Amino acid sequence: MNEFRRELEAELGSAVTFDPQQTKAYDHDLGEMPSVLMAQIRPVPDAVLAARSPEQVASALRIAARHGVPVTPRGQASSGFGGAIPTRGGLLVDLTPMNAVLGIDPDAGTVDVQPGVVWNALSARLRHAQLDLCTCPTSAPASTVGGWFATGGVGIGSFRYGSIGEVVQEVDVAGLDGRIVTVRGPEMELHHQTCGTLGVVTALRLACRPALPLRSFAIQLEGADGVPALLREARERLDAYSIAFSSAAYLRMRAMAEEEKPAIDRGLLALVTVTEPPGSIPDLAGVLAVAAAVGGTVLPEEVARREWEDRFYPMRIKKLGPALLVGEFYVPAAAFAEACRRIESALSGDLVGIEATAVRGDRMAVLAYLVDPGAGLLFPLRMAKALLPMRIARRLGGSAYAPGLWLASETERCLGSEKFAAYRRKKVQMDPGGLLNPGKLQVTRPRWFPAASLSWAIGIGSTLAGPISRRIPSRRFPAPRPAR
Amino acid sequence: MPSDETRALISAERAEELSEAIDACARCGYCKTGCPTHPFGGGFEAASPRAKVHFLKEQREGAAEITPEWVDRIFQCSSCERCVEVCQTDIPLVEVWEEARAALVRLGLGPMPAHKKMREFVEARNNPYNEPTEQRARWMQPHHQPTPRAEVLVFAGCTASYRMPAMIQTGVTILQRQGIPFVYAGAEEVCCASPFLRTGQTAVADRLMGSNVDLVERLGVKRIVTACAGCSKTLKKDYPGWARARGRPWGVEVVHFAELYARLIQEGRIGFTRSVQKKVTYHDPCHLGRSQRIFDEPRAILRAIPGIELVEMENHREESRCCGAGGGVKAGYPAMAAQIARDRVREAIDTGAEVLVTMCPFCQTSFGQAIQDMGAPIRLAGVDELLLEAAG
Ligand SMILES: Cc1cc2nc3c(=O)[nH]c(=O)nc-3n(C[C@H](O)[C@H](O)[C@H](O)COP(=O)(O)OP(=O)(O)OC[C@H]3O[C@@H](n4cnc5c(N)ncnc54)[C@H](O)[C@@H]3O)c2cc1C
Ligand code: SF4
Ligand code: SF4
Repeated sequence: MNEFRRELEAELGSAVTFDPQQTKAYDHDLGEMPSVLMAQIRPVPDAVLAARSPEQVASALRIAARHGVPVTPRGQASSGFGGAIPTRGGLLVDLTPMNAVLGIDPDAGTVDVQPGVVWNALSARLRHAQLDLCTCPTSAPASTVGGWFATGGVGIGSFRYGSIGEVVQEVDVAGLDGRIVTVRGPEMELHHQTCGTLGVVTALRLACRPALPLRSFAIQLEGADGVPALLREARERLDAYSIAFSSAAYLRMRAMAEEEKPAIDRGLLALVTVTEPPGSIPDLAGVLAVAAAVGGTVLPEEVARREWEDRFYPMRIKKLGPALLVGEFYVPAAAFAEACRRIESALSGDLVGIEATAVRGDRMAVLAYLVDPGAGLLFPLRMAKALLPMRIARRLGGSAYAPGLWLASETERCLGSEKFAAYRRKKVQMDPGGLLNPGKLQVTRPRWFPAASLSWAIGIGSTLAGPISRRIPSRRFPAPRPAR
Repeated sequence: MPSDETRALISAERAEELSEAIDACARCGYCKTGCPTHPFGGGFEAASPRAKVHFLKEQREGAAEITPEWVDRIFQCSSCERCVEVCQTDIPLVEVWEEARAALVRLGLGPMPAHKKMREFVEARNNPYNEPTEQRARWMQPHHQPTPRAEVLVFAGCTASYRMPAMIQTGVTILQRQGIPFVYAGAEEVCCASPFLRTGQTAVADRLMGSNVDLVERLGVKRIVTACAGCSKTLKKDYPGWARARGRPWGVEVVHFAELYARLIQEGRIGFTRSVQKKVTYHDPCHLGRSQRIFDEPRAILRAIPGIELVEMENHREESRCCGAGGGVKAGYPAMAAQIARDRVREAIDTGAEVLVTMCPFCQTSFGQAIQDMGAPIRLAGVDELLLEAAG
């Protein structure tokens, strides 16, 4: 380690730190995991590089490879799958200082960025060129473009434009040999969703949409059964840009957190967002027709405006906790209602808040929230409830949202068999020593990889604890009050 | 050595509430991206508000030690409230920082040397600039005629009294033209205590606040008017709680001149005789905008002035960037404060405006210096200066 340190400091100077007070700040991400799990890994990196250029990243990787030091790339650590947490110490590459917009091509409708650029900052820049983001996560005020690409996700705009993987056209990747290569197509796809386990992304080219104003409408549905029809109608009649759903229970939690009245007291609120060409009048008839087709009711404009304004604040409900147990999964739109029913029945002792995003291709990305006090001996047991929604979704043709560290054993199901096979071949070729973000995604059988066994242990442990954990309620809530 | 209990920076006393609040941190990082002081930590996470919250939680639970570096980071904050504005779980972060700084001072681990100096000055002369107490009224112009008794008290504040008098001078001139009688306490007015509340020096703040509360009681005024964003924030937000906790009366309305001018214009009491042909951009002082939600009034004043073209900076209103001076940063970390001010001036220049206007003498001091250092092609003015120019 001494020789590694000497070389790294000589090459990168003050961009790198070995100060334990600084490195300690990188030992976690969004998720709060029980200490018993954290004790199984070495989450504090030995060194951190606050990267300012692709060259710095490439040099650091080359030096790390020479010394057999593991490397963990990190954006804003706003994901909760453990992907940005080191498992074996080593070097952490903080990419947030690499946040330049490299160039906008208005004719091609594309933008080139460094990986640490924050979504909302990028949106602001693009608007000067009459362009805007096709899609972004609801963490857009903080999360980075590189981090979302490496996690693989869906968000605002995914109903029309699909996942981040469908929006990125090419990426530059730095490998352990210190070279930076530009990849696109199937080669690029291997870097999407794979947590930087094949290299560190140092630049991305993204497709953009014309910066047309957005308008949202809120429709109340009696239940989730109407969702597939709503997606169909909203696509055909409105060419909707984005559709998000919030259950009455979720809105009740949020209203409690904000000390207000909930927007609805039963069913599901669908927030349908459309793009409006300048000068056009809102297609109210279209919205009414969509609502009528699914037996829904169009809610006052004020409700839609409020929901849209709150789009970056899905975790405000954490104020009630202070902990949140979050189950995250994909499920076919046709199975969404059944998934909700089964989750609510399995966790009948709890108030389960559901939030969902509709994704191109009739899929739903779903979050099931339980508000929890987060303390006490039974907390680790209650945490097992967070995996239950994903298991239910799997039985209905769904999958985990992202594997990362904690769900590494779900890698093959998340990537699909074909991509998984190609990814495995590439991993062996690019990183035979397992230095690139070790422990993330499961590449081989668990006995070879201790951190992969950790995710297996989590899987087995939570399966065993599941039946008991369901009987231990999280936060108790008073009976609902009638809405306005 | 204090016990473990009293060593906790966010501890059991006030504490329970703020302690619960930081437990709700979602670790989303929203507070980090807009923080003006974070970039000065080398780009590393530890300098971010998110990391400071994490540190305070760990420190409370005995999992982290207070070190000189952490003390430094906790003071490296301009109290700009950008983090409060965006927080995912509504944590009153600036209150958290102030509570932590007060605890560090109690433990003898803070504040920074420059902040201690300010305390020595205020203890000796009632202002943090070490200016003579008896010269506090030197900003007054010959035509300014306070009355011995009135409903309105003009609170000049230290920066306006000794450093940037233009705004208070204009304000008082307008009061007189409007025939609004006012009292002014001169050397009896003491620092509002803002710099000491922000830097955790609560004992001296206590004395200053007590003295001003006595003054207000003695004068029997109903309204305090001030030109300083920091003074008005402190008088509006900190004094009521302070007085309540000590069973002291504090029934006065606190008004910033921005609110007063906007009201007078709306009531048609200020007429314009001249047009001011200028393209201007307005900087929202943190303690006027985010702290007091006074965003519309300065813009309404500017829009009412004939000839003014108002252009907005990229970051304005709730998203405005800081001038770098608040929270004791200008005194404690002058290089950082100067850089933040230069960045904001650059943003103002990018709008193509000829004049950068603001409504806080403290911001004015920072920008004045930055414009001079940069040789920047932009002039600095107070909103009130343009108002007076147009009102003839
Ligand atoms: C309020 C809130 C709302 C959210 N909403 C959404 C949402 O709508 N959709 C969604 O999918 N997620 C959402 N998330 C989760 C999270 O914000 C996203 O996954 C986000 O894209 C992560 O970006 P990041 O910059 O924080 O990356 P990190 O969390 O730092 O990293 C994510 C993964 O990418 C790797 N990585 C980071 N940068 C690079 C790089 N340059 N090269 C290679 N690998 C890299 C890391 O090692 C890690 O494995 C939300 C989170 C919050 C707090
Ligand atoms: S108050 Fe301003 S300077 Fe201080 S932590 Fe918050 S954003 Fe940063
Ligand atoms: S914005 Fe608030 S919730 Fe998010 S990391 Fe900062 S303090 Fe925590």
